[in-house]
Amino acid sequence: MILNGTFTFNGPRAKVWELLQDPAVLAKALPGTKSLTKVGENSYEGVMKVSVGPMSAAEFAVNVELKDQVPPERFVMHVDGKGGVGFTKGTATIELLEIKDQAGPVTVMNYSSDMQIGGKIAAVGQRLLESVGKMMTKQALDALNAELKARL
Amino acid sequence: MKPAAFEYFRPRSVDEALSLLAEHDGDAKPLAGGQSLIPAMNFRLATPSVLVDLNGIPELGYIKDDADGLRIGGMTRQRQIERSPLISSKAPLMAETMPHIAHVAIRNRGTIGGSVAHADPAAELPALMVALNAELEISSTQGKRSVPASEFFLGLFTTAVQPGELLTEIRIPLAAERSGSAFLEISRRHGDFALVGVVAVVRLDAQGLCADARIALLSVGDRPMLAEQAIAVLKGQRPSAELIRAAADAAAGGDIDPSSDIHASARYRRQLANVLTRRVLERAFERARSA
Repeated sequence: MILNGTFTFNGPRAKVWELLQDPAVLAKALPGTKSLTKVGENSYEGVMKVSVGPMSAAEFAVNVELKDQVPPERFVMHVDGKGGVGFTKGTATIELLEIKDQAGPVTVMNYSSDMQIGGKIAAVGQRLLESVGKMMTKQALDALNAELKARL
Repeated sequence: MKPAAFEYFRPRSVDEALSLLAEHDGDAKPLAGGQSLIPAMNFRLATPSVLVDLNGIPELGYIKDDADGLRIGGMTRQRQIERSPLISSKAPLMAETMPHIAHVAIRNRGTIGGSVAHADPAAELPALMVALNAELEISSTQGKRSVPASEFFLGLFTTAVQPGELLTEIRIPLAAERSGSAFLEISRRHGDFALVGVVAVVRLDAQGLCADARIALLSVGDRPMLAEQAIAVLKGQRPSAELIRAAADAAAGGDIDPSSDIHASARYRRQLANVLTRRVLERAFERARSA
């Protein structure tokens, strides 16, 4: 599944970068995250519970590794998740661009991800994967933007 | 496969069902026709701890008409709607759409309320509700409330129905004079989830201009999509081949957010949405003129 998009944060790039590196913030923003802890300099481990409407939550043990970091411009996330109903594996490249706006600086995020999803969830829910991916991405970015606003 | 263990209740009345749902708060799922919930449970994608089976409540299965339109009970079987003379005379668009829903065996069990409350973005009934401007009656132990279809569908499998609530009645307004409607969908095989579907209701004024239009598309977003830009193109204008083409372009270009999957790419879905919207509008305006 390939998901690309852009999102605009209402704040300076350095602040957005700071948020994206903070596991406590990410745990709150990423939908269904039960725990997320730093286990190495650039790696995190966590548990995510993904539920879609009435569909029960599917629990995934997730490993995230950040690579090729160029603060505060870009990084690549390597994600590896395993759960009872399937697995996911892939990368997401995130680029941040600061734009000076009349009202103050805004940060444009370009993201492109390529995730492999397999197992029962992919077999049964194939036609819905992209919609779920889009929905979760939007929820996460909106939550991060809200957190950014609270901090400014 | 077999579902995870769950507790089972079979209430005999709506009140009893509502108290059971309230009692178990968020853990209880109402079971209607079971054509989506049971497979999801068997795959263990859904693992509700309590099922409240609505199949023992005869008072929820009915089709009635009154001065305002049609009232359909939430547990009315889809096949019953498909074959109802009242539906084909008062809501021909419903009668036209029903045969496209899955297969006869599924429609024999599947209910209108079940499909609408499930809110699968590829399902026909939710889009039909939006195009028909249906009112959806939601009941709980606290009372009843009515939600227009355009505010009912909130996202992927997500509706205005809260835990403890039940979709009890679907109200279809009477078709206006000089109105016409049509439904079309494309699926790989008949009965499969549609790649794209379009349903439209249009109304002409006495001068033959488009007074009102409602176009809803299915399988091209996280919910049934109301094609607002396309509707804006049509309103107040004389329907012509060019106008319909412009509306179809607006629908396919701006009103939808299709995804790619193994069956069709997002781009192909946009192309289908364009062609189907055009065909559906041509048909609907033609019917409105001869109405």
